[in-house]
Amino acid sequence: MTDYEAATPADPHADASRPLLEVSGVIAGYGGGDVLQGVTFSVPQGSITCIVGPNGAGKSTVLAALSGLLRPRAGSIVFGGRSLVGLSARQILGTGLVLVPQNHSLFREMTVRENVEMGAFTVRDSAVVRARLEAIEEQFPIVRERAKEKAGSLSGGQQRLVEFARSLMLDPTLVVLDEPSMGLDPKTLRQVFATVKAMNSAGRTILLVEQNARAALKLSTHGIVLESGVVRLTGTGREVLEHPEIEELYLGGAVSDRLGLRRDGLMRR
Amino acid sequence: MIQAVVDGVLTGGVYALMAAGLTLIFGVMDIINVAQGIFVVLGAYLSYVLSVHLGIDLFVGLLITMPAMFVVGVVVQWVFISRLGERERTAMSILATYAIAIMIEGILGLVFSDNYVELNAWYVTRSYHVFGFYLPYIYVFGFVLAAVLLGAIYLMLYKTRFGASVRASLQDRSAARLVGVNVDRVATITFGIGVAVTAAGGMVYGATNSFNPNTGYDLISRLLTIVILGGLGSIGGALGAAVCMLVLEDVVAVVWSPVWAPFVFFAALVVVLSVRPTGLFGRSSARAQ
Ligand SMILES: Nc1ncnc2c1ncn2[C@@H]1O[C@H](COP(=O)(O)OP(=O)(O)OP(=O)(O)O)[C@@H](O)[C@H]1O
Ligand SMILES: [Mg+2]
Repeated sequence: MTDYEAATPADPHADASRPLLEVSGVIAGYGGGDVLQGVTFSVPQGSITCIVGPNGAGKSTVLAALSGLLRPRAGSIVFGGRSLVGLSARQILGTGLVLVPQNHSLFREMTVRENVEMGAFTVRDSAVVRARLEAIEEQFPIVRERAKEKAGSLSGGQQRLVEFARSLMLDPTLVVLDEPSMGLDPKTLRQVFATVKAMNSAGRTILLVEQNARAALKLSTHGIVLESGVVRLTGTGREVLEHPEIEELYLGGAVSDRLGLRRDGLMRR
Repeated sequence: MIQAVVDGVLTGGVYALMAAGLTLIFGVMDIINVAQGIFVVLGAYLSYVLSVHLGIDLFVGLLITMPAMFVVGVVVQWVFISRLGERERTAMSILATYAIAIMIEGILGLVFSDNYVELNAWYVTRSYHVFGFYLPYIYVFGFVLAAVLLGAIYLMLYKTRFGASVRASLQDRSAARLVGVNVDRVATITFGIGVAVTAAGGMVYGATNSFNPNTGYDLISRLLTIVILGGLGSIGGALGAAVCMLVLEDVVAVVWSPVWAPFVFFAALVVVLSVRPTGLFGRSSARAQ
């Protein structure tokens, strides 16, 4: 039972030349076959790194392995110079890595404020929690405005923002977001992306998975294409965005009507 | 008639306590603990041993039997339940806890034989006379005990850090894990608490009914009915359903015939579930998955 206070947070300045997160050769699955078949990529300090790829590629599985929900069968995950493999979800939280999962994850029967406070569940000092809550309320006004409402009664976009707010309660170094824009209308989507940008400007490194690949890659400094459990391409956000094959396949290029067919061809390799 | 309603409310309180343990376990773990009935009987036998052989008062004895049943719960969860996989968890849990029930029943049969016994104390035989009613002390004491323990569970759930982690696990297990709740530990302690309350339930049951090792079957079918009617995982629902059902049963026994009373219990289950599949008090989407 490592407490947040007791854990040694990853030191981002330990070695400036090394990426904040290094994933290498990770093999993982859910008991059946391996979903991830040797995934290797890195997330530079201070970046917004975006993982794109078709449904079922294993994107969420990568994030589950990072956050301790799923234990990789092989490979290494090094975050701020510290290995995460074998650590519990709670211990990983203590190193400064937090995950906002793909499906809505607020505690529906708890109020908005209780939910955000749960973000600091591992902090025992209630004065610290209160101070953090106040800072978060400044950043996310909805947390104060809807404080006493049941989280389940908020709209999808509002829930996302509260989830973001909750994830920042431990002042994480790396915020991992799984399809934050899922199911949002264009206006809310822009708001969510703006929040992602703001979190990054505040000094946090962001790793996100997005189906809204074009918009997300524009926002991102780095891009990763994952397909069938392996990394097919990495580069800057721009490089991935402008890669001819990728553009055609995921970004709704000129041949979007043949998309299904071409994707099949690619998967079979 | 009014007497029947009063009796129903008083016994309903005790059933509510036993059902609360069951529904809490389901809520946090997706486990249907079919052994809850035999745990009640085991609790009753523990009280029996303490009072008959050691001369310890039934209520004082709870200070021993409740922690003992807590330990039983923790061990059962650790040895049997924690090894179940995530897949088909609920269905597997019914088989596993049924096996546990049969084992405990067998052991109780060997130790105590199939003869019916009952718990005795001065408050079992004496009664209050209020407004022409006839209220055995044990019904009143049992109700107060159930109310106190349910109140304690409520305070634990809503006023403590541990309670917050239980509610979080109840609503979304993986989200709870992601904010740093040790869900496995929460599950083990919850199972222990859910079983510990059977010590109190068993004592009151044993003081108001005669029992033998087979009594667990009758109890579990009633408890499951209550928990399902209340909406699986809902503690408030279990309280409401327990009181409603016990009152209904007692009233039917008086107005109609005692023979029909248990039948009414299960008839109500069929009727309610065909109208409201989530139970009397259940919300359609109380749990996010
Ligand atoms: N909990 C689970 N148990 C078993 N298999 C799973 C589980 N979660 C995912 N899978 C399987 O793992 C594979 C990859 O799933 P994953 O959720 O990682 O894909 P994804 O890239 O996130 O897809 P999407 O874009 O649809 O979110 C799929 O084939 C899926 O069926
Ligand atoms: Mg996914």
